[in-house]
Amino acid sequence: MRGPLKLEVWKMGFVNYLEALKLQEKLVSDRKLCRIPDTLLSLQHPPTYTLGKRRTDHNLLIPESELKNIGAELHYTQRGGDITFHGPHQAILYPIISLREMGLGARNYVEKLESTMIELSSLYGVKACAGKKCETGVWVGERKIGAIGVRISSGITSHGLAFNIDPELEYFKHIVPCGITDKEVTSLRRETSTALPSEEVIQEQLISCFARLFGYNTVVQKENPSILSDHEEIA
Amino acid sequence: MASKMLWATRAASYLRISVVHRGFSTVLKDLKYADSHEWVKVNGTAATIGITDHAQDHLGDVVYVELPEVGASVKQGDSFGAVESVKATSDVNSPVSGKVVEVNEELSNSPALVNSSPYKDGWIIKVEMNDSGELKNLMDSEEYSKFCEEEDSKH
Repeated sequence: MRGPLKLEVWKMGFVNYLEALKLQEKLVSDRKLCRIPDTLLSLQHPPTYTLGKRRTDHNLLIPESELKNIGAELHYTQRGGDITFHGPHQAILYPIISLREMGLGARNYVEKLESTMIELSSLYGVKACAGKKCETGVWVGERKIGAIGVRISSGITSHGLAFNIDPELEYFKHIVPCGITDKEVTSLRRETSTALPSEEVIQEQLISCFARLFGYNTVVQKENPSILSDHEEIA
Repeated sequence: MASKMLWATRAASYLRISVVHRGFSTVLKDLKYADSHEWVKVNGTAATIGITDHAQDHLGDVVYVELPEVGASVKQGDSFGAVESVKATSDVNSPVSGKVVEVNEELSNSPALVNSSPYKDGWIIKVEMNDSGELKNLMDSEEYSKFCEEEDSKH
């Protein structure tokens, strides 16, 4: 069957959306050429609204000109999915992995991303589940706790998942999140009665859930991951 | 399952196409296949292109198809468009090089045709090929069936 699977994790802290996007593009290209192993970026963004390939900007409820006043940026991307918000205290994972090497299709990949967030939620006694048809994502009852938006190019993934630890939920009021009306957005803070450890710990647990569900038997952490260093690196 | 296969075989003989059943996904005998799961039907230098039954099954329900412009150039192995399903956009690659002469506009209204009829009504683009020699880089139905089985056994 499969040989040993290695995952390289980049813990990046706080990263501007566009910079993370440029880094992903470079990593996808490197992964296609087998220059790097499967890679996982773990990070958070400053307040940012993003749209997917279908450009459903009718789901942004305030004028674009207003965004600066609330301290947020807007970006159009090539990922699947509708409009969403990213911000501080929301854990983001961007897997840059080869689905072809794993023999996974889009559907199975997304289901595993959902399971990653469901498993993390259960560590805090929160019963989350995958969305029903057409509602990809992770839900606690009728409230959305985790979002997914993915791009697959020649079998290599980019973008990924966003899990609400304790973001400022007010920001979600300015959009129809994921294009789904009349459903709330929630967070781990809101749903659990357990005391939360530091976000670093929660993000580490999210990475562990991901690694286990995808069957990685070797997980290494990249030393000093940075947006710039790899652009200058000589291959 | 048995009645579905009987219907499929009857439909196949009516349409005069040969069908290979490899368990769950259908593979058609007269087409050529790329390892990125696109099929091409060749008629002289005219090529019709879509994604396979295996591909649509692994994608989930297609909700959006991004089509190229008529007149655009395509290159074997390069992306010409994308499909969206389960919040994932997946690039679609061309199995041949040439010029796009027609796109399936129906997919803008009914993207699910890619799921329900991947080899017929769910066709995506038609290309005027500029190098028929490239076809030798593609798999025939038996090779493709085996390729799918190997891929599916990886996990």
